Formats: sequence, structure tokens, C-alpha cells
Amino acid sequence: MTRDEAIRYILDKASARNLTVEILASEERELNIDTHDGRISEFKQASNGGVGLRLVEGGKVGYAWTEELEPHALEWVLDEALENALLQDEDSGFLPTGSDLGRTDLLTEGLSAPIVEKAALARNVEETLKQDPRYDKTQTVRYVEREQQKEIASTLGARGGYRVGMAGVMSSFVMREAESIKQAIGLNVSKEFHNLDPTVTAQEVLEKTGRLLGARPLATGRYRAYLEPHVVGQLLRVLIFSFSGKNLVEGRSRLADKLGETIASSQLTLLDEPNHAQGTNQPFDSEGTPTRQTVLIEGGVMRSFLHNSWTARQSGQENTGHASRSYKGTLGVAPTNLVIAPGSGVTVDDGVVVTDLMGVHAGANPISGDVSLQAFGLRAEGGESYPVENFVISGNLFRILESITGLGAESEWDAMTNAQSPLVEIESLSFGGA
Amino acid sequence: MRYSARMLTPEVVEQTLSAAKAGGADFAELYAERWYRRNLRTIDGTVREANSGIQYGAGVRLFYGNDVIYGYTNDLSAGSLVELATTLTKARDGAGSVDAQGRGGLDFRYERESGLHAPQQPFDSHDKRYRLERLRELDAGARIAPEIKQVEATLLEWEQDVLVANTEGAWVEDKRVRTRLIGQAIASDGIETQTGHAGPGLSVGLELFDLHSPQSVGEKAAQLALTNLRAKPAPAGTMPVVLGNGFGGVIFHEALGHLLETTSVAKKTSVLSDLVGEQVASPAVTYIDDGTTRNGWGSSEFDDEGMRTERTVLIENGILKSYMVDRMGGMLTGYRPTGSGRRQDYTFAPTSRMRNTFIAPGSTPVEDLFEGIEFGLYATTLGGGQVRPGSGEYNFAVREGYIIRNGKIEEPVRGAMLVGKGPESIKRIDAVSSDLANEPGMCGSLSGSLPVEVGQPHLRVSEIIVGGEA
Repeated sequence: MTRDEAIRYILDKASARNLTVEILASEERELNIDTHDGRISEFKQASNGGVGLRLVEGGKVGYAWTEELEPHALEWVLDEALENALLQDEDSGFLPTGSDLGRTDLLTEGLSAPIVEKAALARNVEETLKQDPRYDKTQTVRYVEREQQKEIASTLGARGGYRVGMAGVMSSFVMREAESIKQAIGLNVSKEFHNLDPTVTAQEVLEKTGRLLGARPLATGRYRAYLEPHVVGQLLRVLIFSFSGKNLVEGRSRLADKLGETIASSQLTLLDEPNHAQGTNQPFDSEGTPTRQTVLIEGGVMRSFLHNSWTARQSGQENTGHASRSYKGTLGVAPTNLVIAPGSGVTVDDGVVVTDLMGVHAGANPISGDVSLQAFGLRAEGGESYPVENFVISGNLFRILESITGLGAESEWDAMTNAQSPLVEIESLSFGGA
Repeated sequence: MRYSARMLTPEVVEQTLSAAKAGGADFAELYAERWYRRNLRTIDGTVREANSGIQYGAGVRLFYGNDVIYGYTNDLSAGSLVELATTLTKARDGAGSVDAQGRGGLDFRYERESGLHAPQQPFDSHDKRYRLERLRELDAGARIAPEIKQVEATLLEWEQDVLVANTEGAWVEDKRVRTRLIGQAIASDGIETQTGHAGPGLSVGLELFDLHSPQSVGEKAAQLALTNLRAKPAPAGTMPVVLGNGFGGVIFHEALGHLLETTSVAKKTSVLSDLVGEQVASPAVTYIDDGTTRNGWGSSEFDDEGMRTERTVLIENGILKSYMVDRMGGMLTGYRPTGSGRRQDYTFAPTSRMRNTFIAPGSTPVEDLFEGIEFGLYATTLGGGQVRPGSGEYNFAVREGYIIRNGKIEEPVRGAMLVGKGPESIKRIDAVSSDLANEPGMCGSLSGSLPVEVGQPHLRVSEIIVGGEA
């Protein structure tokens, strides 16, 4: 069966059994071209997708999904979703009343280019990297391309879809200068293939990693910290856990009773921006709610959580259109693109510029906000700066928010974390090193 | 009720592989899977998530010399698979097409699993209510103190049928059944909030509940959360560290194991490339990767390239003996493949990966490890970590840790992060105990997220940088 036929099949079967269901179907196309020493070393072209059911029976919600679109699989999915629903105690679930959401194409011709040109882009990036005397060995230089078509349909009348896509170059290689070795990782993405510039892409990552070569140990102590946009993005991805309406409802958010209260320095304004020009966009969320900008922190004051229809109703707050679900998953809440508004400027004089963090998935506790993370950076003192390594920053994210003493005047988009931020100055942070 | 018809007929597989051959590929492989997956999660005994799914698809991999081309689809019809193979051959610009082998050129050697890791209690032996009751037992087991504020219990069930066939005539079918039970407890004293976690998993069915009683899993998670609640922030600095058995092994998974995969070794981006026969670790270290451990979380009878798994000694008494080698890694390095080709699912081409990896037992009594340490850290349980194979820089979080003072284990500390360079740390292991234990985890790398076991006995590293509060 085609995906459309499978959606029709499930809707018909569900209606016949008097079941209320919402179907989320998606299809993704993926292209990866790796180059190594000027040749295409790996090539991957693929498409896959599936259909996922959310079924509500007497306020109880059950899920099931399949990538196999034959009748036996579609019947199994309907049966499993119903069984899973009946297992629930919670009976406050519901499906939003649906409407015709239309079809939107946010990709248009953005990825239209011959495969040879895409391979040449990766090759040119690798070539430019190799021209740098500090370049040592390539791990991966990869052209990546993704295209996704999402469809939503429900027995309550929802029907619509959209298409999004992006192209990018990912590079991972080793840089060396004398005895100092550093691994570089770079990612540059765009919605338009022709906006990707191999020279700019290569120079960016060379500069970002090259400045860390020859790093010295950092003496343990407390320093003023300057967090670069990528690092801010990494920390925002941990912090956002506490803004999730789902974590609020499940009792895991430290910010549960903080709406309207000051939780950060008055300089800080944090937004979720689904229409960010460089970010990933979607006209409506995974339940069909139209998306719009949400102010999370304004001048240090907490303004909103991120909600889907259920978490909004449970907490008596407004639905912000942040329902997230893949066809394999259950309904959750997720940010889109996070943006910290720029400030009046920061002067780096004495402290440590933190350029990258490692081990965020392990060294950060999103519930407590405690972080202890391996970091890379530059020590600034007496008007000079030099790279430092083998140290860890420790602290609590909620306290770090309060100790922001400055924000850069210009902000930068970080594709790896889907966030935009200026340089953020923190009054004092614990650094564990030599 | 599961549908168990064979995914693909030999005719369809042969047509697909022949299309790849016709397009000039030196080697072609077809991987197909149907994977029933369920997860059930409760918070405080109430179901929060119940989800079931069928993952279904096929991947086609072609070699042109040492170059790899990969593609996949969910559509397993003959037309779709042949088209995929043909499209992939066209992606290779200028590759001269050789004569087609034509139909009938392949004489498959049919092999399938013998049931070495087969479940005693298959998933259809109990209904969903039964599972829910076990999760509630876990919840009850965690309620050991008023500070335990929330308990989350999760059950994962995987039943995966895999078919791998290639142009060398391999035809392998393997069934992998895995079950994992995860407990997470949140403890709070009104000021601080801390979490604890326990998550046994094996290649078994629902007998997992007999091997690891849900109550004991809940209690273990709760104990850890309570310990962290009374723990003080860890000190920062360089110090001797005693690593606990079991999940303590994640340090060497990150700092050593990943550097021994041919994925890194072949491109010489691993600092341990070209060192077979050399002393790379302290003589106290013997390091083994075993894909055959009975019912091990990372075990399977065949790897994802259709090769039988084996027990591979990587390092023996500090001397590097072998890498973990997949098919392409073998071609690139000349080392013999070790049945280490693994992939998360059909959406990934396989690469060399760890299975159940552990440091072999030594002979130092556990209590002797602490002797002579004036000030150090006892890390009993570790969280996840990360490594950059090029430089060997690693980090991982300490989930449960204690200060060692004058050879004695004293107050608990939290928030510690161990940081270093793998090749340096493994030379600093100066004593290894005999109490080997293995624990399950998920390892993420180039070919996706995979079930692996990590393990070790108690051991001592003479010096590691500990990140904590300065």
C-alpha cells in the first residue's frame, strides 16, 4: 500500500470500529556523500517513513506505529494502540478537533542540483581543509541532505501536510601543531544548496579548532566565563527541559512555580522562534496547532512554558503549539529554534572563553540543573589570550542564569544546537583543571 | 500476535544482488529486518507511555573497491529493491559496468540461529497487565525512604528478525530477543533534588523479571538517589581513582574500546592504529570483546554482516592483540574480520562496533586497591561518556562516588566528572581486582545506537583529572 492508502485504510477501519484516532505519517529522503582524499568514499541514498497512531478511547491514550504498510501490520497497529490505551489509568486524554490545514511546501527548489555538484562541494571543503598546514587527517567530510514530508489526519477532521528540507556539510578531522592534537567538528547547513560555500565552511571550522592548538593546562579555580554561542546552545538544550509543559505536568520541572517570577539576570530574554530564517521550520505542530513565536524569559522574568494541547489543558495554561511526535513516538513537547536576544556588548578582559563542551548528555542533570562538563577554551588575562585544555566547568544552570553579567551585541546562529545567541558573560564559574 | 512470514524470497534477494553486480559493484549485500518493539513506562505506578511498533525495511550496501555505497527503503517489493540497487550503482559516476552475473549466479549457503540466546519466556507468554504489575513492583521496591518523591519504571521489549545475504553466497537469518527493565528514582529533601538509576537488560524474554526482580531494581535506583542526596559536591583536581566493577567499565569502553574499532584504525585517526604487538596498556590490563556471552545484552549469534560472532581478545597483559574488525575494516587493514560488523537497524550501513566488552579479572583483593591512597575518589557507578578517537580525549560522569581518605572510603560526593586521554589512563591502571561484572548500555556511534555490555572488576587508576567544584 502507499502511505496515502494506508492512512485511508486505518481511518476506515477505525471509523468502522468507532475508534478515535489521529495518524501522523512521514516520509524522509536522505542523501549523504562522504569524500576522502578527493574521492567519494561513502554514498548513501535512502528513503523511509511510516505511520503512527494516537488512539483515544474513553480519555485513555494509546500509541502504535508501523513501517510495514500491509493489512496485517495495519491491523496489528490498531489492535496494539487500543490495548495500550486500555492499560492507562489516566483518562484525561483527548484529540484536538481537526481542521483542513492545507499543504505547504517550505522546500521548493532548495535542494535542486545535480549529484556531481553536491559531491564537488564536499570535495572542495576537504581540499580547503588540507591547505591548512595544521591539518592532519580526515575522519569525515560529508555532504548531507534531508527532505521530509509530514502528513496528519484524524477521525476528527484534521488533514494536512508540509514538506521541509535542508542541505549541509559536516566535517570531522584532526588538527596538529607540534605535539598538540585536536579533533575538529564542523557543521554548516542551509535550506538552499547554493548558499553553501565550501571555503567559508572550511575556514570556519579551521579557525574554531585551530585556535585551541598548543593548549596549556588551566589552573583549578573560579574564573569569569565567556560562553560562546555554541556553548550557550548546548546549555540551552539542557535548560529547556524545565520549560517543557510535559515535565511540568509530570512534576520534573524546577521552574514549576516560577511563571511571572525573576529566574535570570534582567539582561536575559529567551525566545522560541519556529519561523527562524536559519532554523528548522514547521507551519503547524504534530497535532496540527499552528506555530508562533513564544517568549520564555523576558528581562529575566519567566513568561511561558512550552505546551501541547494536553499539557496546556492539564496545567491551565495556553497551548503554545509545541506538540512534538514522530510517527514512532508518543506525544511530547519540544522547542523549535531557541534565541537569546543580544545585549549591549561584552569586553573579554580577564577570564576563560568557553568554546565547546563535551559529554553534555552525561554530565548535565536536566532535573537538578547540575552540570559538570569537559570544556575547551581560551584563557584571557592581561590583554592576551591562549588556549587551555583538560578542564571541567561545574555549577548549576539555574544559578548560572542569575549570574549573567553581560551579553554580546551581536548574535550568531549555531546549526548544531538550533540556537542563536550572543557571547554570554558569567560573573564567576568553577573550573576544575590541573 | 506476530506475523512471521519470511521477509524476502531467495528470488527477490538474488535479483537485487544481481542488479548491483550488473552495475559494477565488487560486492553487494542485502540486509532486511522486521522488528517488533514495545515499551511501557510508568511514573509512580501510573502508565505514562505504552507504545508498540513494527520497524521494517531493507538496506543495500555496495562496495566498489574500498568505497561504500548504501541505501535503504521500507518497500520490500522486488521492484523497489531492484530499483534501489540500480539507483545506487548509478550514483557511482563513471563506474564501468561489468557483465551482469545474471540470474542463478548465486548459490546461497542457508544458515540461521541455533537458539543460543532464545528466550525462556517469550513475549506472548504474558499479557500487558502482567507487565504493568511488574513495573508496579519496581515502584514499590523503590519506596524505601520518604525522600523518594518519584519513581519511573520502563520496560523495553525487542524482537528482531534479521536477514543478511550477499554476493559471496551468504544467507543468514538471525532472531534477537532483548528485554530491559529500567528504574529511575528521584529523591528530594526539599532543597536538593537527585536521581538514581538501575537498568538490567539481557538477550532474554520476560524471564528477565526472575533474573532481576523488579523490586530489587527499584531499590537499587532509590539507594543511589538517596546517596546522591546526602553527597557533597565533588572536589576538583588530579587524584588516584578506584573504579567500581560493572558500569565502571564504561571508561574503557569510551577511552579504549572505540579506539580499537577498525572504523577509526583504518583511517589511522585512532591513536592506537598500527600498534598490534605493542605495549599499549599497563600489564595489569587484559581487555576482551565477546559477542557470544550467553544471553548477553550485546550478544547475537551472527553480526549484521552475516558473520558468526566470536570472543576477541583485544589486549592481553597490556599488549595489543587485535582490533574489532568488520568486513570493510578487514579489507582496509588486512586484519581478519572478528564478527564485529554491527548496525542499529536497516537505516545504517554496518561498521566495526563493540559487543560485550570488559577488562578481565586480575588478582588484587578489592580492599588492597584503597591502601596507600591519601586522598582520592572511589567512583562506584558511572554515567555515560564521550571520546574523540583522534586525540583520545574522554570524559564521563560519576553517578555514585565517595572520597577516599587515608585508605578509607568516606563521605559521598556528587557531580564529579572524570576527564583525561585514554591512552594515558590505561597505562595508569596499576591494579585490577577479580570481581568482574557486566552491565548493559546503549552505545552511539557511526552505525547508530547499539546494545552493548561494558564491564570490569574493581580497579585503580593512579591518576585522573576529576572535575568538580573548585
